Amino acid sequence: MSRACKGFGPWKVRQLEGGAAGKGMIVEKFSLRKEHRARTLFVIGNTLFLLFVALFVVIPVLRVIADSLDENAAVGVLRLIPEAWTVTAYRLILSQRALYRPFLISVFVTVTGTFLALSLTTMLAYGLIHKEMPGRKLFVYVILITMIFRAGLIPTYMVIRSLGILNTLLPVLMGPCVNAFYFILMMNFFRTIPRDFAEAAQVEGAGQLQIFLRIILPLAKPGLAAIGLFYAVMYWNDFFSYIIYINDSKLWNFQVILRDMVLESETAMPRLDASQTAPESLKNAVIIVAIIPVGILYPFLQKYFVKGINLGGVKG
Amino acid sequence: MVWIQKNWLLRRVRGGSNLLTVVPYLKKGVERMASHRPASGTRLGRRGQEPQAASVALPAPSAGLARRIKRHWPFYLFILPGILYFIIFHYWPMYGIRIAFYDFGYFGIKEFIGLENFRELFRNIYFGRAFRNTIIISAGQSLLGICAAIVLSLLLNEVRSVGFKRSVQTIVYLPHFLSWVVVASIFTLLLSPRTGIVNNAIRLLGGKPIGFLTSEAWWRPVYFLCALWKESGWGTVVFLAALSNIDPQLYDSAWIDGAGRLAQTRYITLPSMAPIVIVVAMLHMAQFFNLFQSVFVLYNPLVYEVSDVLGTLVYRKGIQGGDFDFATAVGLFRSVISLVLVLGINWLGKRIRGESVL
Repeated sequence: MSRACKGFGPWKVRQLEGGAAGKGMIVEKFSLRKEHRARTLFVIGNTLFLLFVALFVVIPVLRVIADSLDENAAVGVLRLIPEAWTVTAYRLILSQRALYRPFLISVFVTVTGTFLALSLTTMLAYGLIHKEMPGRKLFVYVILITMIFRAGLIPTYMVIRSLGILNTLLPVLMGPCVNAFYFILMMNFFRTIPRDFAEAAQVEGAGQLQIFLRIILPLAKPGLAAIGLFYAVMYWNDFFSYIIYINDSKLWNFQVILRDMVLESETAMPRLDASQTAPESLKNAVIIVAIIPVGILYPFLQKYFVKGINLGGVKG
Repeated sequence: MVWIQKNWLLRRVRGGSNLLTVVPYLKKGVERMASHRPASGTRLGRRGQEPQAASVALPAPSAGLARRIKRHWPFYLFILPGILYFIIFHYWPMYGIRIAFYDFGYFGIKEFIGLENFRELFRNIYFGRAFRNTIIISAGQSLLGICAAIVLSLLLNEVRSVGFKRSVQTIVYLPHFLSWVVVASIFTLLLSPRTGIVNNAIRLLGGKPIGFLTSEAWWRPVYFLCALWKESGWGTVVFLAALSNIDPQLYDSAWIDGAGRLAQTRYITLPSMAPIVIVVAMLHMAQFFNLFQSVFVLYNPLVYEVSDVLGTLVYRKGIQGGDFDFATAVGLFRSVISLVLVLGINWLGKRIRGESVL
């Protein structure tokens, strides 16, 4: 039997509502049609509600896409389809140094940062799965404590300042480069790899580094992919480190420019050449360009999350 | 019955049934992590044996400490960069927290003043306001988010069409991966008094445009809306994964006992969800006082009264104002409360569920 049959059973034993427990059970005959109708109503209502929710999520994005392609963007209208199609806004992003440089910086930081973060995290995780290693627990605690207690913004800022790396990309790259959740996840992943492989390689005379690079990492590819994706999204979406550690607008990434243009719009616009496109469509196009990479990665992100590999996602 | 079997199989196969096998790692801390081997990933476990740690032939436990260190020396090199990272970016700053107890000028530490900074802090009206706002905004956001996710996942769970369920799930989940800057930008444009679609509609209906983000009455509702838009999909996916792990036999026997749909939800679905809801609530609690980015991208001086939180106060005082000792004191206060909150919830969770989340 399954839930499929529920609601179709002609007979039903029901506890008397409001009656004291055990006071009495009555057997009641249900109208098959009535039950069926209630169920149908629920299904219809449910579907409509969920459709509404999906629309609620999609419409803002659709509107932004439409406006980014519209010459008369957002002039007192409710439409979701552009009135006068144009790609001027996107052309502007590609041609204006003030706009494509932040994009390149975003790409550079995302690629370099993800590589750095993956290397540190995997090395740390692989190093700490060996139970017999003296001090292993201490090191693991050192990492886990940072999950529940943080020094805070200002002390971290002052460390960065005394290292003399303010106004460089280094704090942006290194600041968030080992995430304790991803570390735990990676450690669990390495544990699933049978140790026979490493043992065999050692018998063959391979060094530990060689074993790690040639055997362990290839076997851990699914885990690497998952964590790499999440690090990549993190670096791409970062804007907080930039506004704290970097004053020089030449080093800002796309998110910061986006914030500058849309959220503090009056200040950034004059930097651009006058053009026939209304600034509105440019603002919208900048949002879309910031979304596109995430959109491309999204199917993979979803896959890994749904597979349950993503412990970091549980963090939120 | 064929349909039934298919349905059952789908429940098993789809929908991230492994999530619950992952969550336990959060639960028992290091001890558990050290011993637990996930049920999945046995693809490499040949000869039907338990997959083992990928470490290389180890000496017997009885081996001397020096010998064990010597055997493991390459692994110390492996962890060196990572540990250095934690020391530089996490523990060195912790040492820097001491300036909360000092008078700190632009050129460095002047003198030890004990708790004077904290006294100043509690006298400061902006601090009180920020503290209140943090609690209201964080609590509201968590509560709304969790409730929305529970409702959405229950409703999605009732959907029979796999395609429809999948599509809705995919759509609602997407905003989770967008940055707060993007989300704030989208809503700022949508709600803009001059050009936003919402105010266009209001104008069409003959009303006056509303400055949603610059009005004290509207700011919080709009903020909650953005937070829901961004995060409710994530909770929904997490809860759905838990729902797909419920044994369908439970429903069958409940049905035979005469439980209707509502009763089944009340007595089977909700209790089965409870553990994961607690874990998610706990994660929200851990972030409770970390509220910063989301507020920072949406607020402006006109609405500080209802929107300024501890995180933004630290930023304005410290990074922008250079008042390092005061800002550090606020930060330390925030970290300590946060820590107490997490440990408290963990203790409570242990009491209620008999196991620790941390």
